[in-house]
Amino acid sequence: MHYLKYLKVIILLNLIISFQSQGEKLRVGLVEYPPHLNFDMKNKDTPIFEYVDRWLNNLNVKIEYVRLSTERGITEIQNGNVDILFPLDVEIEGVRTLQTPLFHSVPGLCFKREKFIPILSATHRFNNLLVGVPTGVRIVSALENSRALIVELKGNDAIKRGIHLTQRGRIDAFYHPYPKQVYHRENPKYQEVACSSFHGYQNAVHIAVSPKLSKQMLDSIESSYKKAMEDITYDYYFATRDKSKYTKTN
Amino acid sequence: MYLYKDQVISVSVQQKLFVRLFLMLLIFCSLSTHANNNDVKYVLGDVTKIYMSSMTYIFKEQKLINQRGGNKNKLFGSEFIENIKITYKSKYSEPFPLIDHKSKKALLQSMVEVMEENRELINDEKLDFKGIIPATFAFQLSAKLSTKGVGLKIKFTRTHESIRNKLNKPDSWEVKVMKSMIKKPEVFYDNDALLNGKAAYRQFTPLPMVPHCLRCHGVPAQNPLNFGKIKKDWTDIDMTGFKMEGWTLDDFGGGVSISIEKSVIDSNRSYQ
Repeated sequence: MHYLKYLKVIILLNLIISFQSQGEKLRVGLVEYPPHLNFDMKNKDTPIFEYVDRWLNNLNVKIEYVRLSTERGITEIQNGNVDILFPLDVEIEGVRTLQTPLFHSVPGLCFKREKFIPILSATHRFNNLLVGVPTGVRIVSALENSRALIVELKGNDAIKRGIHLTQRGRIDAFYHPYPKQVYHRENPKYQEVACSSFHGYQNAVHIAVSPKLSKQMLDSIESSYKKAMEDITYDYYFATRDKSKYTKTN
Repeated sequence: MYLYKDQVISVSVQQKLFVRLFLMLLIFCSLSTHANNNDVKYVLGDVTKIYMSSMTYIFKEQKLINQRGGNKNKLFGSEFIENIKITYKSKYSEPFPLIDHKSKKALLQSMVEVMEENRELINDEKLDFKGIIPATFAFQLSAKLSTKGVGLKIKFTRTHESIRNKLNKPDSWEVKVMKSMIKKPEVFYDNDALLNGKAAYRQFTPLPMVPHCLRCHGVPAQNPLNFGKIKKDWTDIDMTGFKMEGWTLDDFGGGVSISIEKSVIDSNRSYQ
């Protein structure tokens, strides 16, 4: 008789625990970051979403994804309205990130093809080069200490303006914190410029977590992410993925 | 206090036993350290040779890298690694090493990642020279490895005054090693060094200057940009945009510097 009582209690506890875990929910903010996360495509068709979603699902909680602009995403994570935000290449006051970066972005210059400089450590080639830099963007020391002439690219869409001015020959090149965002095949404007990188000046791209996230949940997320990275890093996953799956034409 | 004869004998036997045990322990420790040093040298040697094979392969494929269009699959993913393995075998006349240490795995994965990052550039059908040459590939590989957190640092460097990429300049250990190496170029191994403030093994492998180095670092007559032109039209700027140094085959060719944190080597060899 006693055994039956214990069994009932155990079943009841199990039900409560499983109900509780199913009831937990994570709100995940996505920030556009081509070619890793392109808002022109479905989430499931973008490599970074596929990679993160796979290990987040191991947490056995309900996940809701929401697409946000970078500025809005930062506000939402600061206020705790989203639990996780990625990919993020800026440090935000009061917002933690998972210990290991997802990958690293490398800044560079984009040129009109006729003026392409392939190796950017050849800084003597920057003499009198007119380089557009979006307002507020910090440039690498190699460019800062060179004899390049820096002009500010103002406006909300400084990169688009940079492409336009480069194309028209009004500037020789424009600076981009991560030129792959422009110089990739999914971008219709990709053909208009050619970009090279300041290798050795890489910046970490992180997964940010809300300050309101419980320690228990943060530990679970950190542990699941660590295991996923041990299986395959995002960099290698991105490099070896089936490319045909991620093209807009398919 | 007096000791009886049989007690004295017993003490003496105990002492002998203790000395023997101590000696055996000493021999065991020295053997184990020796084995460990060999182990380290194998890992450092393998990583260095794989790294140099990738540079050789990048040189061999310059035509494919810089051509407009065509099938360039052998520059990416598993095909790229297979070709590096082939290059290794032919360069060193020995089988490609087992990938039995995480530093080797990280190196091979980084190669694939670096080439992938250059995919758009390599496939750009409106550009000729893409700037992906052995030295820039090696630097990108070093930069990529530095983000992996595997306690491995590798770079292709040379003497301070002649370095083209300022980010690649030698540290004090490398400066010291190269000074002695210019007179006597042979592999230098140090099992008592530091990397990022942690105990590390370091090795420097000098590279001989070979004819293809002189296409950029030699004299204008060796510059492919001058081929077929009359002498007065020659340039001393090489295809990468740098001024040619005028080196000869007798000059010091720099070398591959590799450092591995001791904790990394000591971790288990779980990869195959």
